[in-house]
Amino acid sequence: MFEIDPGEDINLIVDVVQRFSSAVLSEQYRDFEAAKALPATVLNDYAALGLGSLELPEALGGAGLGSRAKIAVLEELGYGDPGATLALDGIGPALYAIAELGGESALNEYILPRLGDPGARIALIWDDGGVRKKVGLRRNGDHYIGTEPWIPCQQADLLVILDRQGVSIVDSGFTLKAIKGSGLRAAGAAEVVFDQAPIAMRWDDPAAAARALAKWQLYISALLVGVFRVAADTSREYAMDRVAFGKPIAHHQALAFLIVDMQTAVDSTRLLMQDAACRADAGQPFEAAAASAFAEAVETSMFVTPNALQIFGGQGFMQDLPLEKYMREARTLGLMAGGVDLAREVAGQDVCAMGATVELSALALAE
Amino acid sequence: MDFSVDSATQQRIEKLNDLGREHMRPLGIEADLLGRPTPPEHPYFEKLVGMGYGRTRYTGRKGQDDSPKKSSDKSKAKRMGRSRASLLLSEQMSYWDRGVAVSAPGPGLGEGAIMSMGTEDQKERYLSPFIKLDKPRWGAFAMTEPAAGSDVASIQTRAIKDGNDWVLIGNKSFSGNSSRSDFILVWATVDASLGRAGHRAFLVERGMPGLQDFHIEKKMGLKAYESTSFRLEECRVPAENLLGGEAYYESRAGFKGAMATFNATRPLIAAMAVGIGRSALDESLAFARENQMLDDPRVRDRLERVTRKLRAARLLCLKAAWLADHQQPNIVEASMSKAVAPTAAFEATSLGMELLGMVGARGDHLIEKLFRDVKAMDIVEGTGQIQRVVMARQMLGLPHG
Repeated sequence: MFEIDPGEDINLIVDVVQRFSSAVLSEQYRDFEAAKALPATVLNDYAALGLGSLELPEALGGAGLGSRAKIAVLEELGYGDPGATLALDGIGPALYAIAELGGESALNEYILPRLGDPGARIALIWDDGGVRKKVGLRRNGDHYIGTEPWIPCQQADLLVILDRQGVSIVDSGFTLKAIKGSGLRAAGAAEVVFDQAPIAMRWDDPAAAARALAKWQLYISALLVGVFRVAADTSREYAMDRVAFGKPIAHHQALAFLIVDMQTAVDSTRLLMQDAACRADAGQPFEAAAASAFAEAVETSMFVTPNALQIFGGQGFMQDLPLEKYMREARTLGLMAGGVDLAREVAGQDVCAMGATVELSALALAE
Repeated sequence: MDFSVDSATQQRIEKLNDLGREHMRPLGIEADLLGRPTPPEHPYFEKLVGMGYGRTRYTGRKGQDDSPKKSSDKSKAKRMGRSRASLLLSEQMSYWDRGVAVSAPGPGLGEGAIMSMGTEDQKERYLSPFIKLDKPRWGAFAMTEPAAGSDVASIQTRAIKDGNDWVLIGNKSFSGNSSRSDFILVWATVDASLGRAGHRAFLVERGMPGLQDFHIEKKMGLKAYESTSFRLEECRVPAENLLGGEAYYESRAGFKGAMATFNATRPLIAAMAVGIGRSALDESLAFARENQMLDDPRVRDRLERVTRKLRAARLLCLKAAWLADHQQPNIVEASMSKAVAPTAAFEATSLGMELLGMVGARGDHLIEKLFRDVKAMDIVEGTGQIQRVVMARQMLGLPHG
């Protein structure tokens, strides 16, 4: 059941992450972006926090914590730098595809060996089945062809390709070509060219694939919440300091209303995300809730981050300040995990299957 | 800090669902068709009273219940908090019919102010008849005036001390259930130039000379309850009817009593909006399914968005209520929920109309009624704009005035 307060254990973890995020990520984000990578010291310092195995079962040496813990951690890291977060958490949401479809043996094979390496990166790619006819990758029998135009890493020794039916593991037959990237540059950026890349392993299970997608959506939602929360905070503080026409710009009602609406959007989106995570942890159906939270997070991110920049006026457009970065990062994050239209589709199908809104009502809370 | 529902509340909601299906929704539709509130002598109100609705939180003089919130929260630690429970009940009542819900007997919006500001004698006199109702009884609250809505500090109704009495002169508007009420908690000012500091609340009883000219307004929707204007024509009220007594106002600003009432009720009103929105969504889904419209991704996308916005609004309401249950400040959260829920619900009804198409234009579909009903939710208990002012004061230090 939904709890606003994730509990003492998780709060302690969040405190640690918050300190790391503000001391390291918030300070060095421009360096990371310029280098398109994180220095080894930062990778090692983060690895020392031991958060890499947060969601792994205790039987496999993990902390056995769930989605509620993970989104809390990701939100704080995203507040500092979401691109860096993808580099720090190099296995990232690929964990879900491997765990949900491959189970424990797959975790043993693909995840455990990489846990000790702070630089390990697994790229998770969404195969949309060819929505864009002239670009993108295609699964062709037992191999992949085409190109994936962007992944948020420079090098990856393993590709995990998720689609609505299942997941493929690809470990050869592809090349990565470094590109510039729009947002999340700290994570690196590359184009993946598939040259008849053979499928090393394939699991088909649409229900498990749906769960993996939902957890990926939650993962990205948490980073989005982190980004638009910092954008909202930063612009609110500025608006209370900056004086125009004889008073702080925050006290002009056009901006006062905008700022409180931004804050409201931040809070309500966060609640939707936390609700979905609690459902996942409780073993309830959570796919539609996660999709819904993701759709809301993407919409909120495109409301909050451009307006945060707007509040700074011309300064917001300059790269001396992070506002322009928040906007780019938010836009890029929202393209991931299958994108917002897929999320709307998943959540929309669920709404259409509802008998009545009793699913939304008090009685639904009573389980 | 969880939002789960205890079984007692769950049972109350299920009982409410029976009542709603059988009585509330049909009565709401009837009032809408006839264009008048459900009359006070309607057997529905007897039935409600018989079922235990309309009772006050006041437990009687012997209860020594000066601080009911604190004592009840301690004793019911395992139970769901009072605010969350009443929030869910309000939402569900409103799902069936918000107008009918407001028409229900009970001490009304003034109850909170009487509980927090009233003397023991006043609580006994005005609330004890609501401990266990012998018949349908109402209490009312009158703040709004023709020239003072959101800006409550500038109410013009005058209170003039005359010997051992107070004389009230002025006009009140949009006061729910007031023409059928035993008493009306009337807010007036001893000196309009003092703003809030000049405010006083009076318990004005039905039949007091000068309480007159009740006029039931014609509304766009929510017709099942009366929104009433009345006049105080040199209405003479005994000194003991000054809420809290003279001493209360010497030390504290009377206005705060009124604001405390609003703080607690904003998430309730927001939840009522969610209830209306869910009602519209259910009807929309049923209609779209029947008419095989759900295969259209555009329709699905829009239903999804409306559902999502309602869920988000609902979580904001629950958070505000959760904070209230734990005696934590919730001014911002209360305003957030109230700012967001009515718009989400409006969107649900408006989408419903679009799905209905010409069927909506006929003016005889439930969704069309809900579309008219829901607009009031962004106005009562502080408009969406006022909620934003409240939040801006808290979050941005927006100066008053």
